Amino acid sequence: MSETSTFEPKIVAYVCNWCTYLGADLAGTTRLEYPPNVRIVRLPCTGRIDFNLIVKAFEIGADAVLVSGCHPGDCHYTAGNYHARRRWILFRELLDTLGFDLRRIHFTWISAAEGRKWQQVVTNITEETRALGPYTDLYAAGTFKDVPSPVNNRNGLRSFAAQNDLREHCRKLLAENAVKVVIGYGVSGPIVVTKPEDADRLVWNNHCYANLTAYLKRKEIKALGKPAIVVKPCDEKSLVVLEKESQLERQDIYAVGMACEGVGEPKCATCQARTPRFADVSLGQPAGPEPPPSPSPNRFATLMAMPPAQRMAFWTSEFERCVKCYACRQVCPMCYCERCIVDRNRPIEIDPAPSTKGNFAWQIARAFHLAGRCIGCGECSRACPAGIDLALLNVSLHIAAQKNFVFEAGIDPKADEVIGSYALQDKEDFIR
Amino acid sequence: MSESISQAGLRTLAAEWLAAGKTVAGPVRIKPGLVQYRALRSGDDLLFEGVQRPSNSIKEFLFPKAEKLYGYRVQGNSIELIESDTQERVETILIAARPCDAAALPILDHVFNWDFKDEMYNRRRAATTVVTLACSTHDESCFCTSVGLGPASERGSDAMLFDLGGGRCEVRCLTDKGRALFSGKTEKSDQIGNVPPGPEKKFDSKKIRTFVTDHFEDPFWQEHSLTCMGCGTCAFTCPTCHCFDILDAGPAAGNARVRSWDSCQFATFTVHASGHNPRSAQHARQRQRILHKFAIYPEKFGDILCTGCGNCTRNCPIGLGVLSVAIEIDHG
Repeated sequence: MSETSTFEPKIVAYVCNWCTYLGADLAGTTRLEYPPNVRIVRLPCTGRIDFNLIVKAFEIGADAVLVSGCHPGDCHYTAGNYHARRRWILFRELLDTLGFDLRRIHFTWISAAEGRKWQQVVTNITEETRALGPYTDLYAAGTFKDVPSPVNNRNGLRSFAAQNDLREHCRKLLAENAVKVVIGYGVSGPIVVTKPEDADRLVWNNHCYANLTAYLKRKEIKALGKPAIVVKPCDEKSLVVLEKESQLERQDIYAVGMACEGVGEPKCATCQARTPRFADVSLGQPAGPEPPPSPSPNRFATLMAMPPAQRMAFWTSEFERCVKCYACRQVCPMCYCERCIVDRNRPIEIDPAPSTKGNFAWQIARAFHLAGRCIGCGECSRACPAGIDLALLNVSLHIAAQKNFVFEAGIDPKADEVIGSYALQDKEDFIR
Repeated sequence: MSESISQAGLRTLAAEWLAAGKTVAGPVRIKPGLVQYRALRSGDDLLFEGVQRPSNSIKEFLFPKAEKLYGYRVQGNSIELIESDTQERVETILIAARPCDAAALPILDHVFNWDFKDEMYNRRRAATTVVTLACSTHDESCFCTSVGLGPASERGSDAMLFDLGGGRCEVRCLTDKGRALFSGKTEKSDQIGNVPPGPEKKFDSKKIRTFVTDHFEDPFWQEHSLTCMGCGTCAFTCPTCHCFDILDAGPAAGNARVRSWDSCQFATFTVHASGHNPRSAQHARQRQRILHKFAIYPEKFGDILCTGCGNCTRNCPIGLGVLSVAIEIDHG
């Protein structure tokens, strides 16, 4: 007997308590028969279903996952399913980028009266999964086409003309007590200046890589009093997001915007923002990008041109180098949770060990928590000591937010966040 | 007279070792701008030149980033333990390691053997041979000479390679393990390998020890560590940092008790079950790292817990590291 004929797919179904669970119940009480391959997990609402659960189901051996809730307009909590729908749209794109087999992830609306639909959906999914066979590609190593590395155009040190203006401006801010502290760039990295006479330690040159807005979350910095922060036009976008998310009061921060000539990072080659828009002051003149402006090859297109199994093999090989130092999280201005989900241990939600599963689970959580929030500063990739191109995951969600919701983080302070809002006309073509 | 071997010969040797089922690891170019110590797939993977040092350290071949201690099975109210394999480890050869990596191994040996003999570590250690390549260049982050080592330090090595130019290396076998690898594989040569002196001495380690011991409560720590982001990059790329966490990975990870790297720079490193955290601020964590390296470990075992490789500085997203702290202390 061949293996396929004995293969019984394991299907995990996350269903909402108010519609689909009752629909499944109705299927039972009306004696409708359906394959016993489905394991039902009842949750209050699809809006409450943590995306990690979908990943976790695969990790413990599911061959397919079904998520099902109330029809649009029927939600017991008014809009939980609309929020869920929006998250699924983005989450599917992330899983696609990572090379998950989307044919194994199903979404549907089933009401309490639709026992027959439940029967059909479960029957169909079971048959489809049976045809696909066991999910052996999950986190599997294998061959893949090389994704080109981002191109750095880091050159020798070149001071920019606005350095003097910067020093003078910050000296004045400190002397007049307008701010208590200046967070800026020094010769060998970020520095914190508290005395007017130390303003000369500030530099402005083509080695000013870090996005300093990440310091705004640190309690050691908060304790110092009102900060002035030196921002590049790419970095200052995080102020827009942080304010929108009530992480700061804009008047409590003084942003010293520097018109940027490029620092030779991969993002600089395609940068559109050379002049600060949201800062309290803008110093210097923007010039062309750091020569030579060779844009990085389109890594995302190369990645997505591969079949899913190869994409997964690519990420498996990249994540193999992850040591879970969390530099990606620490340097991210948007990662401000006091206790990160990966640090919670009662219960352990994400395997904290740098194992294949643990690394995938962590990177999925990190990337998806940044969906529609990442401003594309690329600090995660720059900080990674293992050279993993983490920003690629953020790029995938950035493109998904643009494509589906015409949204870009950190551009328009008035725009609604992607996650946390919804529209009645959000796409549904992937929902059964 | 000396013994020498060509780089091509070394690659052939590496291929032979691989064919014999041994693990061979050395510097490998992963992508532009990134070289790491990795298990070789072929002798050609080995990278001899054009790199200061790999961005990771060789410790991961003896003390892996995640290691299963044992498995368990839960049945009703009882838990059955499933012992990990007690087999001998695969013979491992670390080739073209840097002296600052090799020197870390005797340091780790102390830690894994002082009160408890760590079988997992010791089995790997016994099965590992270290072939070190003396450094002919250094960069601004290197400071081996400041912690009592140098570009040709033999500490921790079983054999040393010295670049002779022209694609040849002098081989100096230091231990029986080293001799076993190279006996009959080398040629006589009248050239003696020499390396230029390493980086100039950048600080006085005794001064650092005195300072850290006497200045536990000092505003220096606060000022110095303000820009630290609190990630574990320094510790995880350090050849000597050895702290680990033990966690019970649930069913998704195959029901195992796992030991994995931990870093004193994480806020959760010292947090108590009650929620109290004795090192609640980043400056206390930075201080701990320097204190451990220059006072706590030396007090117990004599050596400094640092080989001056400079990996912390090179890998830090914002350019902090042992070197910058030590220089500030020494010159301040």
